[in-house]
Amino acid sequence: MFFHIVLERNMQLHPRHFGRDLRDKLVAKLMKDVEGTCSGRHGFIVAITGIESVGKGLIRDGTGFVTFPVKYQCVVFRPFKGEILEAVVTMVNKMGFFAEAGPVQIFVSNHLIPDDMEFQSGDMPNYTTSDGSVKIQKDSEVRLKIIGTRVDATEIFCIGTIKDDFLGVISDPGATS
Amino acid sequence: MAEKGGKGYLPAKGGKSALKSPVGNGDSSTKSKKGKKVQFDSEDSFENNIPKSNGKADTPAGKGGKGDKVANGTKKPTVKTPSPTERRLEQELPPNSVCLMDCEAAEILQDIQDHMVILSQDPDIKLPVSFDTGLTYAKRGGNYAKPQTVKKIFEPLKKHGVSECEICLIANICPDSVDEVFALVPTLKPKMSKLREPLRIALDELGNLKEALANLKDSK
Repeated sequence: MFFHIVLERNMQLHPRHFGRDLRDKLVAKLMKDVEGTCSGRHGFIVAITGIESVGKGLIRDGTGFVTFPVKYQCVVFRPFKGEILEAVVTMVNKMGFFAEAGPVQIFVSNHLIPDDMEFQSGDMPNYTTSDGSVKIQKDSEVRLKIIGTRVDATEIFCIGTIKDDFLGVISDPGATS
Repeated sequence: MAEKGGKGYLPAKGGKSALKSPVGNGDSSTKSKKGKKVQFDSEDSFENNIPKSNGKADTPAGKGGKGDKVANGTKKPTVKTPSPTERRLEQELPPNSVCLMDCEAAEILQDIQDHMVILSQDPDIKLPVSFDTGLTYAKRGGNYAKPQTVKKIFEPLKKHGVSECEICLIANICPDSVDEVFALVPTLKPKMSKLREPLRIALDELGNLKEALANLKDSK
């Protein structure tokens, strides 16, 4: 889910950037350092929407760099356990399938896929029901529920399930009516 | 077959799910795959601890919380003792965080992308990959509804204690029926009797809005 939050960061600026464009340089550096990053606490920082305040700069002893505390507003994407997401399948194998929802990758184990769907190997590996009416393959859209999250230094990885009511395939690119 | 949940195709009606695999199954398969210790945050629960619009977790009525309480951001849950997971969620997200519906996020991100045309002359300013994937995700399904309109549709639910985050979740799911809402947002189940009718009205209005938008798009 997307959130709009206010975060704070201490930005260090080299004295060569001091001058009338100091604030612009600070904002540009903030955008470069922060946008696209991911933390376990806040999720993916998708975009900075505004600067709330820039505090007074403090000169760091011995280096000449100046540290500015900057408060900024941003849009983040953070998945939660229990959240319902619509994801696009990116890879299918016999262990399950991978899907992407925005910047987040989700893995759905074959244990969390309905029992009436079986793995079919081939050029286009997929999970199909016994009557062939429902198929999960690459580029299929599925609705899933997050049941766990793992946080790395730079990304959030989720485990999902489609084994509950109202979960499963939304659209199948290769479906024939 | 009706007893099995998750038939794998929507809408999957005809029986509540009796099969809910424990988190451990997913964990073990990933653990063996990766070959290193993987810690899955099973306490990070959204089901029972959906944060309010101001970042404070919403305690479900079943846990002794006040079901009629409105999440207006100024009240503090001083009487209730939040569960460890709720406390953790409160710690994780800043207190002034606001849930965004996908259409809201799409509007904000699209605005930024439009401004990039002006800013793109500066080679230092580039949009990250997560921006493109986030914008694509927010705009999926051709969702052209205005956030203000969608918020107005779900406004009556706030009177019945539905939090901002729960409303965002419902709006993002775009459910077809009230049963779908209660199945996918279990925190609303304690208030089922009160919410059934207002939800039905809201979903009907949302359906009409989407139909009108689809007709408008087809006519262009």
